[in-house]
Amino acid sequence: MTTRREVLKWGAVLPALGTGWHGAFAAAPPNNALGLDAMLVDTRFPGALAVADAPVPVMQFAGDVTRVWFDELDARWRQPGFVLGGITGSDALFVLEVLAQHQGRKVISRVALDLPPVNGVQAVRWIIAPHHPSVTA
Amino acid sequence: MSILPPDLDEAGFAAFLSDLRVAVGEDWVWSSDTDMFPYRDSFSPVWNTPEEIHASSAVAPADVAQVQEVVRIAGRHGVPLHPISTGKNFGYGGPSPNVQGSAVLDLKRLDEVIEVNEDRNYCLVEPGVSYFDLYRHITDRGLKVMIDCPDPGWGSPVGNSLDRGVGYTMPQFRDHFGAHCGMEVVLPNGELMRTGMGAMPGANSWQEYPYGFGPDPSGLFAQGNFGVVTKMGFRLMPQPEYYRTGLIRVPRRRDLVKLVQHVNYLSDSGMVSEVRFASPLSALLGNPEFAATATKLGGPTDAEMDAFASAAGLHSWAIDLQFLGPEAATLAQWEYAKDRVLSDIPGAEALDGDHFALPATEEQLDNVTQPYPSAIRRRGALGVPSLGIWEIVRDDGHVGFFPVLPRDGEAIFELQRVLGDAQRQYPLPPYFSAVTAPLFWHSHTFQMVFAPSIKRDDPEHNAMVHRSMKHMVAVAAEHGWGDYRAAPIYQDDVAATYSFNNGSMRTFLEAMKDAVDPNGIIAPGRGGIWPRRFRS
Repeated sequence: MTTRREVLKWGAVLPALGTGWHGAFAAAPPNNALGLDAMLVDTRFPGALAVADAPVPVMQFAGDVTRVWFDELDARWRQPGFVLGGITGSDALFVLEVLAQHQGRKVISRVALDLPPVNGVQAVRWIIAPHHPSVTA
Repeated sequence: MSILPPDLDEAGFAAFLSDLRVAVGEDWVWSSDTDMFPYRDSFSPVWNTPEEIHASSAVAPADVAQVQEVVRIAGRHGVPLHPISTGKNFGYGGPSPNVQGSAVLDLKRLDEVIEVNEDRNYCLVEPGVSYFDLYRHITDRGLKVMIDCPDPGWGSPVGNSLDRGVGYTMPQFRDHFGAHCGMEVVLPNGELMRTGMGAMPGANSWQEYPYGFGPDPSGLFAQGNFGVVTKMGFRLMPQPEYYRTGLIRVPRRRDLVKLVQHVNYLSDSGMVSEVRFASPLSALLGNPEFAATATKLGGPTDAEMDAFASAAGLHSWAIDLQFLGPEAATLAQWEYAKDRVLSDIPGAEALDGDHFALPATEEQLDNVTQPYPSAIRRRGALGVPSLGIWEIVRDDGHVGFFPVLPRDGEAIFELQRVLGDAQRQYPLPPYFSAVTAPLFWHSHTFQMVFAPSIKRDDPEHNAMVHRSMKHMVAVAAEHGWGDYRAAPIYQDDVAATYSFNNGSMRTFLEAMKDAVDPNGIIAPGRGGIWPRRFRS
């Protein structure tokens, strides 16, 4: 797992989006010492690719989360830990949030981004973290 | 916001929760606002209004014995339980209950695929098993069976079939309740029961003969509230060797009548998988003159519609056909279908579509090589679960009314006209027009769809949608078209339309409910069936 310092370092790439990542992370509980284990990017929003060189594994998809969830996230979310950050469409976040809740996780940070909507879908940046004792590390 | 169960004060509620925690463990009982948020109906048109029904708490037992204990505890405290499998039937209420203050009985931890038998083509699963779970279980082991899954595939076979959900393969599998075979149920008194051959100790045919002997009570648990289903068997299709598609188009509006008759023959003879109906004239809806004609009060004439089709060089109707089986058999069935339709309907034409050996590649599943516009969602058609359907969800979700209508072209025209006229008073997209095609999801009937979106930040829009839903249900019922499935807030409206002989069916079911669940512990109100305690 990456450290909080690494997360903040990772967050340094986000001001390029004009989105104020630091503020979003500060919205998480102040005593939350979570670090990001991976990042998920929705390539429908070209601006989101600015985080492609983040110092954590970056997974990509284009609107439909089926493959990335089925191939990666489902197994990760069945195990304790694993904090995931993302820049995705709000529609994809809804799907991910429902799936995450089922595995004892919740969205701890959620901020709409000032990126051009795609087919009416708003870009959002978010963090999904373990919540239930069965999956908290 | 603290929600209490009916007839319980704070102390009583605390005692109930305490008993639950002893039964299932501290970590698997929830009642805080934050924890209960996922148990709200995300697609509710009455979101954040006094009409929204909230659960008081949720409990997730680990096994059948704990389910039995939870039911007994609820019985002692008089708290109604609302069982869910995965709670993802959005558009039909999601995990939300019928009664304010119910405790959600979340069965997600009962997640074992107990058996998949590829020699006898069935599976036996628990309620927390999703279609994705079952698909992964089958593919990881290379088993030669195919599931039939709804869109999206995150729901469970148990939950979907108990809500009479549908899929997209062969008729005997895509009616999910119709494809079930055997169930295990915790009754309202906590006792365990198995149906069909499961009732006979030592029988090894539970997933092969659903009836056993005597009355079969399994139907009581679909859209019902007579028990908590903890295991369920399903028939599975042997993995087909080959997949073939083809398109048939007919020129005139009235040709739909014969086309439907041919599809009925092909489907009921077991020759085709799900058939997709469409009107190529839908492409003209962006033309204001055509749109006005297709949605005009009282409906357009055949001549008016045919004139547009002729001028645009488009056919009036099309059917996407799909065949599953040995390669030679799929080819013979396609050739037969073409000959049957083209020899009977002047001007009909057929186009050969994609065909390939199964299992399909990713590119084949993406359905990008079809030589004509196709309405087929290939993954669903081949039993591959997907979340991609989410792309069609607009705003913050939608409600859904799916009237059942006869497989008859004239009935389609009548429904287009009647419900098209009925929805005109609402500022909504035209769900019913002269180009609206039927859905052939259930095995032997058609449906159409009315699914207006909801907007969390627009209560006036939601209120309009709510009114329109109730209105459409009522108008459809006047013509004999009933909803097949509904969210809790509409279940009473829908149940009331099934009113033959002063509602004798509902009276009969409520008499049984009073007999087996006198305190109304299991999902009171589900399916419009209320126990005496809540009937007033």
